[in-house]
Amino acid sequence: MKRLVTLILLLTAVITLAYVFQVPQPEDVKPLGEFYLENSYFGDYSAKSPEVITSILWDYRGIDTLFETAVFFLAIIGSLTVFRLTKEQEKEVKTESTQVEPLPLPIRTVTKVIVAMILAVSASIALHGHLTPGGGFQGGSALAVAPLLIIAAYSKYALEKNGLDKTRALILRSIGLLGIALVALVPLLSGSYIMQNQPIFPAEINGQLIGGSLIYYNFFEFLAVGAGFTAVFLLLAIPEEKFKKILGVRR
Amino acid sequence: MSEILFYIGAVMIIIGGICDLFGAIGLLRFPNFYVRLHAATVGTIGGAVVPLFGVALLALGADFLPHRYAIAGASFITGIIVLLAAPAGATALAYAAHKVKLVEWKPKVDHLAEVRGND
Repeated sequence: MKRLVTLILLLTAVITLAYVFQVPQPEDVKPLGEFYLENSYFGDYSAKSPEVITSILWDYRGIDTLFETAVFFLAIIGSLTVFRLTKEQEKEVKTESTQVEPLPLPIRTVTKVIVAMILAVSASIALHGHLTPGGGFQGGSALAVAPLLIIAAYSKYALEKNGLDKTRALILRSIGLLGIALVALVPLLSGSYIMQNQPIFPAEINGQLIGGSLIYYNFFEFLAVGAGFTAVFLLLAIPEEKFKKILGVRR
Repeated sequence: MSEILFYIGAVMIIIGGICDLFGAIGLLRFPNFYVRLHAATVGTIGGAVVPLFGVALLALGADFLPHRYAIAGASFITGIIVLLAAPAGATALAYAAHKVKLVEWKPKVDHLAEVRGND
């Protein structure tokens, strides 16, 4: 009862305050916002991207975003270091020791369908990043759910048997990183600044809006984040017994 | 035509609300894990899929709405995904609970055991 009274008092206070102190609504576009709009959506040297946030993120704040991405990759490298194994131990981890009874048929079938849908949706989030809310990191995070679902419904070994093992995931991640670096460095060749969007990359190809370098950044970030998460998930899915065996822990 | 779609959609949304209510009550009041799982699935299928289809019909019927085909398509696809995923999730939960014997299992009727016994 006491808690309920406190809750009601708190809610009333918040709503009253929100009603009394209304946030002033801006009546016209501020000069800074006008500058950003002018240079990312309108204008001749803009990316013509309707999603101005992505444009700002990869263009004006490009270096910042690059370092943000670097933090994520350092985290992945850290977890890879924690799980460092020798060649024999890698092989040991990849062999399925006990045959586990598979999950019921409906779960496996539905997982297949949902995984296909997740792949489509994540690609759409990443490749539409310059037109709609979304982008490479979000798309990559959505992509990483697909291998996670497969690990849960089948097993980690099913993923590895079909060719997506830790090494492949790391190679994909490295391709993504390399792509981001190359797209960032290409403007230097023609005497522009690093990570510059225009006028090196065309804003449109055959009338299709691709937003300059934004689509390349989004695609490579999508690849790198998805594959990086997949590598970590594969490591986390190693059974505990295997690690006990490797580390020599007695029961 | 749009009025018919409106009424069908509205009725489906109301059905969804009722199913959600029954699902919530069942989740609180039912005796054991498996029957509660049934109530939860009533909440997801009846309470999420049916109203989503209802929203799709409503949006199709509303001529004044901008992007009404996008709204209808998104609702319909979301409904189908939930329709696929909810039974699979419930199956996985029931299977896992049965497998590790976490939940007490006292069936009144066990058709599977009868069938297996007759073989």
